[in-house]
Amino acid sequence: MLFTYKSLWGKKPRLKSSYEVVIIGGGLHGLATAYYLARDHGITDVAIVEKRYIGFGGAGRNTAIVRANQRTQYNVPLYKEALDLWPVLTKELDFNLMFNNCGNLNLMHSEAAMKAARMTIATAQFHGVESHLIDAKQAKEMVPALNISEDITFPIHGAMYHPPGGIVRHDAVVWGLAKGCAKKGVHIHQQTEATAIHTQGGKIAGVTTSQGHIKTPKVLVSAGGYSAGVINHMLGLKLPISVLTIQAMVTQPLKPLLNHVVSSGAYHCYANQTLKGEIATGAHMDPWPNYTTQTTAHYIKHQAEALSDWLPCLRGVRFMRIWGGLADMTPDMAPILEGNDPIGGFYMDCGWGYFGFKSCSAAGKYMAQFIATENCPDMLKPFNLRRYEKHQLMGETAALVSYTPDN
Amino acid sequence: MALTLTCPICGKRNGYEFRYGGEDKGSRPDEKGLSPADWCDYVHMNTCTAGVQKEWWFHRDGCGAWFSTYRNTLSNLEVDRPEDST
Ligand SMILES: Cc1cc2nc3c(=O)[nH]c(=O)nc-3n(C[C@H](O)[C@H](O)[C@H](O)COP(=O)(O)OP(=O)(O)OC[C@H]3O[C@@H](n4cnc5c(N)ncnc54)[C@H](O)[C@@H]3O)c2cc1C
Ligand SMILES: [Zn+2]
Repeated sequence: MLFTYKSLWGKKPRLKSSYEVVIIGGGLHGLATAYYLARDHGITDVAIVEKRYIGFGGAGRNTAIVRANQRTQYNVPLYKEALDLWPVLTKELDFNLMFNNCGNLNLMHSEAAMKAARMTIATAQFHGVESHLIDAKQAKEMVPALNISEDITFPIHGAMYHPPGGIVRHDAVVWGLAKGCAKKGVHIHQQTEATAIHTQGGKIAGVTTSQGHIKTPKVLVSAGGYSAGVINHMLGLKLPISVLTIQAMVTQPLKPLLNHVVSSGAYHCYANQTLKGEIATGAHMDPWPNYTTQTTAHYIKHQAEALSDWLPCLRGVRFMRIWGGLADMTPDMAPILEGNDPIGGFYMDCGWGYFGFKSCSAAGKYMAQFIATENCPDMLKPFNLRRYEKHQLMGETAALVSYTPDN
Repeated sequence: MALTLTCPICGKRNGYEFRYGGEDKGSRPDEKGLSPADWCDYVHMNTCTAGVQKEWWFHRDGCGAWFSTYRNTLSNLEVDRPEDST
């Protein structure tokens, strides 16, 4: 029939009065965790409760950049696995995730930055992730539109080239995972806001939602930028998180001119050309916590100035759309993946800042293992919450782009 | 404009002149007998309030004053001190 269509993730299920696992937040991490709970552990009695619609949060707002060239030895293996999973998931979910493996180029604007890049590249290579240092001339050969002259605000000294990264269609990941979840029997409840989490004797007992009460022994909070507020409000636990609004925008569509994701820490700007031809570019954050997701004229100006410096062919090109979302930043620019501490049956997957798209598949896979076995997998151990009180902050702040209210 | 703040010395100014100094967590805890958890609480932990919170600001590109004020994190508007606050 021409005008009838079925929801990709099945019929609207009825909210049951109990579930084995309740996941708060129908974003990338909630969906991925539910998918792997069902796929790897046979746990299908799972409810995802989403206050708006799946993909409402960062899942539907991110700029879809994927890469595995983080700074520390704890982060790289997780992101590498996530990167390797895109083609696997595309097949498994029978859904085209549109992985555009165009590679990433991080511009360096000083000799000190080149040295920092060497460290990052050594870490990547140690973990079997392809990454190279190139000079400005080589960068210009790869991206002819690049301005490598010396009379710009931040002249380009060289770049870190990371071929395995690129862009994945973010909506497709949401829809594909939702389809995969529903097929395995997971219940996705949209328009269902969690309003309280109940504990009994130090253990999880249930969740109250806008659609009714649910009894459950296990809760995962994966509510993206809302997680820290939700956890504090519902359980009184404070987290080392600051929630900022992060913005991105696209230009009018242009002929192909940019074949890589190019980013610059000094300009605080990244850009890539979408398959539709738009230049998608981010990512400004006003460094004060807020939940507004508002866009600002300040940022449009910043972006226009930055782009016309290092990609001067974009001068005069118009921006078509600008939007904002939330980024939950931690002081060490690494996420918090924790469970059963301090509340039995309570799990959290948050603090992803602006990295939570590229990591979602692997994070979901290991969070599912954590929830199913009640033991933290080795891969996630470094991301525990107690690292902050032990002064074991991760060194991700030494990555090439770092932006939080803490620094 | 995303944000304006009222510096006690310079008055209402553009938010970009200021640096955010964190949630107001009260005075620095006494170092005697301070546990790592309590120190961490003071240094890193936040309530991430969706609503009005008391917070520190520094007039970085202005007079250099540190002051605290109330702001609604849902609207980015500076607000008067709420009645039930300390
Ligand atoms: C502009 C922008 C650009 C970005 N660019 C990139 C990028 O290029 N690469 C990258 O890796 N990452 C990027 N990110 C970050 C990435 O989008 C997030 O880290 C990621 O979406 C986090 O996934 P999540 O599943 O934890 O949360 P989300 O995708 O935000 O989902 C959380 C969900 O929880 C729901 N929720 C909240 N409270 C409740 C409640 N009480 N009850 C029920 N449901 C609730 C929300 O409605 C939301 O749908 C970007 C983010 C933004 C905003
Ligand atoms: Zn002042």
